[in-house]
Amino acid sequence: MTSTFHGLEVAKRALFAQQAALYTTSHNIANANTDGYTRQRVNFDQVSTLSGSRSNALFESQIGSGVEAGSIERVRDKFLDLQYRGETSKLGYYGSLASSFQQMEEIMNEPSDTGLSKSMDKFWQALQDLSVNPEDSGARSVVVERGIAVAETFNYLSTSLSAVRTDLENEIDVTQKELNSILNQINNVNQQISEIEPHGYLPNDLYDERDRLIDQLSNIVNVKVSYDASGGQPNPMAGGLATIELVNESGDSFDPPVTLVDGPTKQVNEVTVNIDDTLGKRAVSSITVGTSTFTGADFTSTGKMQALVEAYGYQDAGTVKGEFPQMLDALDELAFNFANEFNAAHRGGFDLEGNPGTDFFTVNATQAGAATSLDVLTTIKNDEDLVAASSDGTSGDGQNALALGSKIQDPVASLGENTSVKSYYASVIGKMAVDSQEAIRMESNAGVLQQQVLERRQSVSAVSLDEEMTNMITFQHAYNAAARSLTAVDEMLDRIINNMGIVGR
Amino acid sequence: MRVTQGMLSNNMLRNLSQSYDNLGKYMDQLSTGKKVNRPSDDPVVAMKGMNYRTQVTEVEQYQRNSSEVHNWMDNSDSALDKATQALQRLRELAVQASNGAYEESQRENIAAEVDQLKKHLVEIANTKVNNKFIFNGTATTGTDDGAGNLVEPVTLDPNGTVVTVSTNTDPVLIEVANGVKLGANVDPNTVFSSDLFADIEAFSDALKTNSQDLIGQSIENMDTHIEGVVNARADLGARMNRLDLIEDRLSSQLISATQMMSDNEDADMEKVIMDLTTQESIHRAALGAGARVIQPSLLDFLR
Repeated sequence: MTSTFHGLEVAKRALFAQQAALYTTSHNIANANTDGYTRQRVNFDQVSTLSGSRSNALFESQIGSGVEAGSIERVRDKFLDLQYRGETSKLGYYGSLASSFQQMEEIMNEPSDTGLSKSMDKFWQALQDLSVNPEDSGARSVVVERGIAVAETFNYLSTSLSAVRTDLENEIDVTQKELNSILNQINNVNQQISEIEPHGYLPNDLYDERDRLIDQLSNIVNVKVSYDASGGQPNPMAGGLATIELVNESGDSFDPPVTLVDGPTKQVNEVTVNIDDTLGKRAVSSITVGTSTFTGADFTSTGKMQALVEAYGYQDAGTVKGEFPQMLDALDELAFNFANEFNAAHRGGFDLEGNPGTDFFTVNATQAGAATSLDVLTTIKNDEDLVAASSDGTSGDGQNALALGSKIQDPVASLGENTSVKSYYASVIGKMAVDSQEAIRMESNAGVLQQQVLERRQSVSAVSLDEEMTNMITFQHAYNAAARSLTAVDEMLDRIINNMGIVGR
Repeated sequence: MRVTQGMLSNNMLRNLSQSYDNLGKYMDQLSTGKKVNRPSDDPVVAMKGMNYRTQVTEVEQYQRNSSEVHNWMDNSDSALDKATQALQRLRELAVQASNGAYEESQRENIAAEVDQLKKHLVEIANTKVNNKFIFNGTATTGTDDGAGNLVEPVTLDPNGTVVTVSTNTDPVLIEVANGVKLGANVDPNTVFSSDLFADIEAFSDALKTNSQDLIGQSIENMDTHIEGVVNARADLGARMNRLDLIEDRLSSQLISATQMMSDNEDADMEKVIMDLTTQESIHRAALGAGARVIQPSLLDFLR
């Protein structure tokens, strides 16, 4: 025998359940534009019909007891998260690399009418003019001025590239702080989740927060996320505690594995990028994560951090590698060898007075820093007659000026087989251009892929206002209908209580 | 696939920004006239561009050098022309004087003219162009006598006798094409040698002493010297011809190098303008579609 008020109870549960669904709908609508929000839905459960042990009335036990709002679940696909984070890491890496290359390209400024190549060409022209008019002090002054221009272009390129490196060092520092802050935030969210889940609740907002943080993290380094269940009596749908592991470019663990955030023990291993100048030039010496230490070359976790380290430069087998240090080295090598070859040729000639030539450029004794300190000899700056244009000491002979010019256009032995100053520089620019183009191409590829995965993820998780409106109407109607059924039961009871057994009254 | 408003507006924004990106690219090409504005746009074009620029600079420079060679040669040639005329006159005088019909005073007049012609030749030998002695080998600013005094190619003592004659016979070499050096000057020893001035002085002395033998000898000497100058001019002419050929080649090289540079890096304006116009209409359409996509939702139709 069912209870007299069974109908009232069923209708009441229905009202509550539809109300919960309406509230969830309005929560979804409210968060339609919230970053990282996952739409939620109410899982309606049928209330199981309990048959009393004494009751053997099969029929009554088959009457349902209505509905209840079982759980409120996030609609999300973990596999898409995995893909999205993989692409985000690549985008972080190539995006950062491409932007440093862009800065480099802007500084090198080739091909143009103002770059090093052009100033070399102009210097060569001045030397040619001098070879035609070796006795002309105007032609001599032009050679000296263009020589100064070449030296200043080397200085400018070198110091500008170094200035960008200083910026990169700051960026590494900021990125490291951001990374560690995200790790600590994830750990805090883990902590909060571990306090709520044991009671059987689902902290959906915290899950969203944590997923958003992991998305941000994957921009900086490549990570793998695994989940451990909380203690106590968690809901079967509970997310658990996230353990974040640092992985390499192909998504595999390092040996030994490196954990950034440990879910069960709630420990954070902060990342520290160590920069020092043991090799005479500031560079990343190592990267430590907790107790693990990486060299710059070993740190292969795709992301913004790796790109910054590669662009800035890292110590590897006793040398500094990386995009900017390599460009600076190339400029140093070029300046050093060019200046020395040029000086040797200059010493082989004679100035306007018939005296043997001196050096033309002042250059470092070693290659390191040669581009920054390259200059024209002060005595030559003060007296253009000292330019050794003549090969035999006579005033009208300009053969040594031609020999000096040939140091720009013709192969220079110290730069390698069949390589002139110009062709060496062209090859440096070519290499930079190809690398930069590659980085830009990969950035745009990763961007497209990330966008596609994001699209699919949004397709699953994003709030659709049309859909919510439809749901709202559905739930509203169900609510109204439940209220109506309550009224029906009420009328039924009214009939029994107030209008029964009053025959003849 | 489930599609939401957010996805639509995100896509629209992304496509619009891509469209702006393309517009910017075409604008850049249009305003700079270049296909590439940074090496990464096209590494091959950029590298070739650097080489082509150098080539154009080289050719322009060689053209400048060759016009300088022209300058040398033209001035040398006209100086030699004058020298030939002077020598012809000397020969005429020698032929006249060898007649033996002249009186002493007449011969002295001839001798005076001979002396003047000698001075004229000295002046020609000391010709300066652009402040350079053109008949002094590579010692174009003259030499030093050790006491800081300038020594001209040919010097005379107060009596008008030639004292020193330039001994610098080095060619003034000027590069007119990669590795090709052309001698710009005339070897002074083939034209204004010490023999020339000695022979003229001997002729003048012979006139004064009325030595018919020596006057007869002078005709022969003048012939030898005229021949020397003619030979030098022939040599110079041959070099001028060669220079003309080189200049022809340089000017066609300049055209082809500039052409290559332009083909390599200059934007094709018609194509860029077409692309820009197309992109503009695409952008317009994207904006229009965007405005339509955003507006309606179910909300607008519910009451």
